[in-house]
Amino acid sequence: MISLTAAALVATETAPGSEHSASTLVTVLAVAVFVGTYVVIATEWVHRVAAALGGAALMVVIGATDANTAFFAEETAIDWNVILLLLGMMIIVGILKQTGLFEYLAIWAAKRARGRPFAILVMLCTITAVASALLPNVTTVMLVAPVTLLVCDRLRVRPEGFLIALVMASNIGGTATLIGDPPNLIIASRGDLSFNDFLINLTPLIVIAFLAFVLLSRWLFRRSFTYDPERAEAVMRIDERRAIRDPPLLRRSLTVLALVMLGFVFPSAVGLEPSLVALLGAGLLVMVSRTATAEYLEEVEWPTLVFFMGLFVMVGALVNVGVIGSVGEAAIDAVGDNYLLAATGLLFGSAALSAIVDNIPYVATVAPLVNDLVDAAEGAAGAQALWWALALGADLGGNATAVGASANVVVLGIAERNGYPISFWRFTRYGIVVAAVTVALAWPYLYLRYYAF
Amino acid sequence: MRARDLAEPFPVVHLDTPALEATRLLVDQSLPGLVVADRQGVPLVILPSSQVLRFALPEYVEEDRTLASVYSESDADRFAQTLRGRTVEELMPSKQFLPRRHADRPIIPPDATLMEIAAVMAEQHSPVVAVVEHGEILGVITVHRLLGAALSTT
Repeated sequence: MISLTAAALVATETAPGSEHSASTLVTVLAVAVFVGTYVVIATEWVHRVAAALGGAALMVVIGATDANTAFFAEETAIDWNVILLLLGMMIIVGILKQTGLFEYLAIWAAKRARGRPFAILVMLCTITAVASALLPNVTTVMLVAPVTLLVCDRLRVRPEGFLIALVMASNIGGTATLIGDPPNLIIASRGDLSFNDFLINLTPLIVIAFLAFVLLSRWLFRRSFTYDPERAEAVMRIDERRAIRDPPLLRRSLTVLALVMLGFVFPSAVGLEPSLVALLGAGLLVMVSRTATAEYLEEVEWPTLVFFMGLFVMVGALVNVGVIGSVGEAAIDAVGDNYLLAATGLLFGSAALSAIVDNIPYVATVAPLVNDLVDAAEGAAGAQALWWALALGADLGGNATAVGASANVVVLGIAERNGYPISFWRFTRYGIVVAAVTVALAWPYLYLRYYAF
Repeated sequence: MRARDLAEPFPVVHLDTPALEATRLLVDQSLPGLVVADRQGVPLVILPSSQVLRFALPEYVEEDRTLASVYSESDADRFAQTLRGRTVEELMPSKQFLPRRHADRPIIPPDATLMEIAAVMAEQHSPVVAVVEHGEILGVITVHRLLGAALSTT
């Protein structure tokens, strides 16, 4: 970031690239930088954080952006709402993690299932899906995966199916809310959509999609479900109460989490942006838990936050030189008033692309385009639903391959360290089916709810 | 004083030695660690006893320490069972941490001075180094022995 800032300072003196004065050369260069960076991110030639920062730095050097465009301007700057909301939620999770709540819930669920593998899988997936709707997916799977391995170990069943199912439940559950999945944060910020908009428009479908996923998993992972009464007894011997090491900390954390959720759901009463609600909640939790600085910052994934910043600077530069505007106009002309066709294209196109490339850079790029479309519609019926088509396609498409979502990569890493490597293709065999079924369910939902009547 | 003056006989285990047998050796002879030789018999790596302990623990307990608390007493007593049926090779750190260059191995020539021995041990965080000449182990030097020799001269 330091070199980026320094480069930006140099560039403001030499090349004040503003929206209307951008030359053709700068525009062509900006598109080249952008495409080049995406290729590098998709192929993983260099680390995605280095790629995004390198791309942002080049945008500065070619004069496609400057300090004001990159840091402060409403349309083009780094979206601080997204960055700080993530930061706040990561701090909350960092403290929540120390309470042992997730271990407690997962073991409790496994015991309620009386050690029957499929019932355990359903319970663990439900916990993961609900937690993922409220907390960042990556952290949720990091909290649930180790205890899942313990339960599988006790049951003497192979854990690969359980782990794959968990991460899919996490991606599906995360789609349900504004804070569940990073693409949704970007969509909310660009589209000026509230927490409740997501709750009303996405959550009903996600409940249906999750139920479908559970039915599907009975068949997909059928080989993991051998029941052995003796092994079930080994599960019943685990004592979940000992996971809660600090009950007062747990009570305080849950109280603050509840306050944060209320702050999200009742924005009119609170009058605050979700990012501020999350930051205030994080601050309050730090105060009441008396956690040390290093401890509550431990779960903050700085690489992810910096990656976002680099992406925002790059996409902002494209907006600044007018590329996004031109593509947006072309899209408006092409769509006309056929929003159903646009939503269909967005849903399936986003799903296909998100399966191959990280859905975060994808949504960061497409969101300004969708914004142009929705603005041009001036409130026409069906235009607003384009946001939901984008969210559903990008989030649910992330399940399709091992690299489709960050949580997938994290779980594959945990599995490998524990001696159960899951290959890219093995994950993808299951992922394609789950992504196809959930995205296919999303289309009739969108059609019936927003376009049929 | 040189390495050859301090070298003592020390059991060496191989990659295919059963993990349980190697651990028992560690316990019965109160060794500070295991000297693991490669297929040519040259010491490849030293597994300090703390490392052996880490491999007896399930990886998920290491990742999430809370999980160590949820086992019943009888199940917790049997935590070393994970070593059953595994070999020393499976206890080794993953490939990327194994010494790639000869110089990174926990071995020293017979004419190494006390200072050189100490430097190799400190650098490799190893409580034991092997004294090797022409690919053959003359013996090993433990931290205990090295410090004893160093103190006797001060």
